[in-house]
Amino acid sequence: MILSAVLLAVLALGLAGWTFARNKARLLYAGRGSMHSMPVYHGWHFALWIVLPGLLAWGVWSVAMPTLVNGSILADPAAAALPADDMQRAAILSEARAIAADPSVFAFDPLSARLADPIRVAEGKWGTIGALLVLICALAGGAHAWTRVRAGFPARTRVERVVMAVLLVVSLMAILTTVGIIGSLVFEAGLFFKDVSPLAFLTGTHWSPANAHGGDISANFGAVPLFWGTIYIGAIIAMFVAIPLGLMSAIYLTQYATRRVRGWFKPLLEILAGVPTVVYGYFAALTVAPKVRDFAAWIGMNNPSTESALAAGLVMGVMIIPFVSSMADDSLAAVPRSMSDGSLALGATRSETIKKVLLPAALPGIVAGVMLAISRAIGETMIVVMAAGASANLSANPFASMTTVTYQIVQMLTGDQEFNNPKTLSAFALGLVLFVVTLILNIIALRVVKRFREAYE
Amino acid sequence: MSNPRWQTPAALRRIARRNAAERRFRLLGLGAIALSLGFLALLLVIMAKNGLSGLNWSFLSGSDSTDPHMAGVWGAAKGSLLTMLVTIAIAFPMGVLAALYLEEFAPRTRWIEWVEVSINNLAAVPSIIFGLLGLAVFINTAGLPRSSPLVGGLTLALMTMPVIVISGRNAIKAVPPSIRDAALAVGASKVQTVFHHVLPLALPGILTGTIIGMARALGETAPLLMIGMRAFVATPPGGLTDPSSVLPMQIFLWSDQIDTAFVENTSAAIIVLLMFLMAMNGLAIYLRNKFEVRW
Repeated sequence: MILSAVLLAVLALGLAGWTFARNKARLLYAGRGSMHSMPVYHGWHFALWIVLPGLLAWGVWSVAMPTLVNGSILADPAAAALPADDMQRAAILSEARAIAADPSVFAFDPLSARLADPIRVAEGKWGTIGALLVLICALAGGAHAWTRVRAGFPARTRVERVVMAVLLVVSLMAILTTVGIIGSLVFEAGLFFKDVSPLAFLTGTHWSPANAHGGDISANFGAVPLFWGTIYIGAIIAMFVAIPLGLMSAIYLTQYATRRVRGWFKPLLEILAGVPTVVYGYFAALTVAPKVRDFAAWIGMNNPSTESALAAGLVMGVMIIPFVSSMADDSLAAVPRSMSDGSLALGATRSETIKKVLLPAALPGIVAGVMLAISRAIGETMIVVMAAGASANLSANPFASMTTVTYQIVQMLTGDQEFNNPKTLSAFALGLVLFVVTLILNIIALRVVKRFREAYE
Repeated sequence: MSNPRWQTPAALRRIARRNAAERRFRLLGLGAIALSLGFLALLLVIMAKNGLSGLNWSFLSGSDSTDPHMAGVWGAAKGSLLTMLVTIAIAFPMGVLAALYLEEFAPRTRWIEWVEVSINNLAAVPSIIFGLLGLAVFINTAGLPRSSPLVGGLTLALMTMPVIVISGRNAIKAVPPSIRDAALAVGASKVQTVFHHVLPLALPGILTGTIIGMARALGETAPLLMIGMRAFVATPPGGLTDPSSVLPMQIFLWSDQIDTAFVENTSAAIIVLLMFLMAMNGLAIYLRNKFEVRW
């Protein structure tokens, strides 16, 4: 409570300091060239010297305070009655803390009610000390900077150095996110692989985590059916829809359409990429899946399921069309004009030029685009969650219900949440596989695109 | 045209065949576009047919309920709003600053190369992976409250930041060097040049990219599923740490209901979501057309 108030106080001090220092610096102005920096930079310099030490002290204290408060509590005579078991102790302490914050909370344990008062006292004591410390740091920083408001002081250089440091730190956040993803996936997957051998996970063909109890559970975590389902839906069925439609759309838009038509159709196609995946998923489940089932029944399948790989794959393919189309668009545009002109001049028709000259020349770029589209498709979640089904099937029948890596991740993590059982942890192992595969696809695709561009420049 | 060899019946036949192939190919291209757009039209028509009758004031102002006729979308919309606030408050400043640094200041060192590689890859990482990151870091390690707009916003911010950085860099790259040279020539420092001249000129482009990134984040469901934003929430969230739902999640939850009356609700919620997305994309296009400068 008091700590958030002091945070506001530090910011207010910084604001006031900014005005004071700037005004003081203005008075120093004695003609052209008399000052190193403009007054406003003195303001910033002063404000930074107040706020940064204050924030630093605040951060340190926010981390340290719970330990200090705990120390005070355990020294209290009432704490002698706390049970030795760590779990119970933590439960009582957290309840006491809730009562200390809000006395109207009901106490399940009389001990926590007795502990609430000492906690409130300790929090008040350490909070006040911390607040004073923060203010002292801020004021000391300010005092130091106040002596620097002189005509010759290079305030601008100092402020810009801080700006550069902030920019650098923010840029490093991207690396931190990547490290965070890899770190958390590898760590949790490592816990999973303690119980299940990686070999059994990557090559086993039996997936039924629900039956995983007792001794050797490796046999229930064979992920091959999931990989197959993912590839079958995302890389085969979806691409059967997306590659022809996307490629032909791109060819029509770049080679045949007039500027006006292109100006209308290209944004319309891009709407397909902007529709949220949950909408596609609902569409797949509500409209496409029943039609697919009826069709399966009509061609003589007995008892086809509502959830089918085909329904999910078809809708996913439609979602991917704009990706394929815009990648193909770029690659076709990168082929030098002279190549198609040469072919046309020799008497080839436009379609012959496209088939014999343009497409072969643009092929690397198109293949890279398809790889990016596949990486997009196998990471897609909502469509398969809503339309593909839960049963792990190793079959080539498009009307069968099939499950994917992303579906199982959702399945494992949205049920009951005990964190440390192999079922939940398997989601992270699946996530790791998914991350690695999409990463490899992306890196190869970006390499190919880059080399392809260079070839024609 | 007077060459007699071109006038033989065989040659004429061959030319007619080639012209027919040309026409077929052209029709194929047109057909591909028509099919794709036809699918889009079908999707919109079906949603409109199912949902328009359910769009009324009590639906727009209500919250989730077990009774389909009482259920409304406001609770989820408010959750989306709070989540987006957190996302933009984090992703926009960080994305812009990172883009400025990488484009204007960064030395060509190995570290910076790593930053660029990881930003490009993060933009292509499946969204569900960000959900796993959010679950492992924000909930299990940092102990932030589950299914709150705070955690949802943080997770989506990590996902949106690379998008903003990439579009921001393109916008900054488009500002011609002469602007920088002019500012430097009259004595501005590098930082002044960038913040006083380059950034304002690049801002419309950056904003366009940001809005598109935010639109993507608004429609995102999978990462939020991971951090537990699928709870049944019957009252609109009061703050950033209250349990809440978001629009796409509400659609997902209703689509799972067995009661067929929820079909109308789901479609109506989809219409609401698509309206928001169209408004955002429209704003992005408007900004681009209004402020785009051709140098």
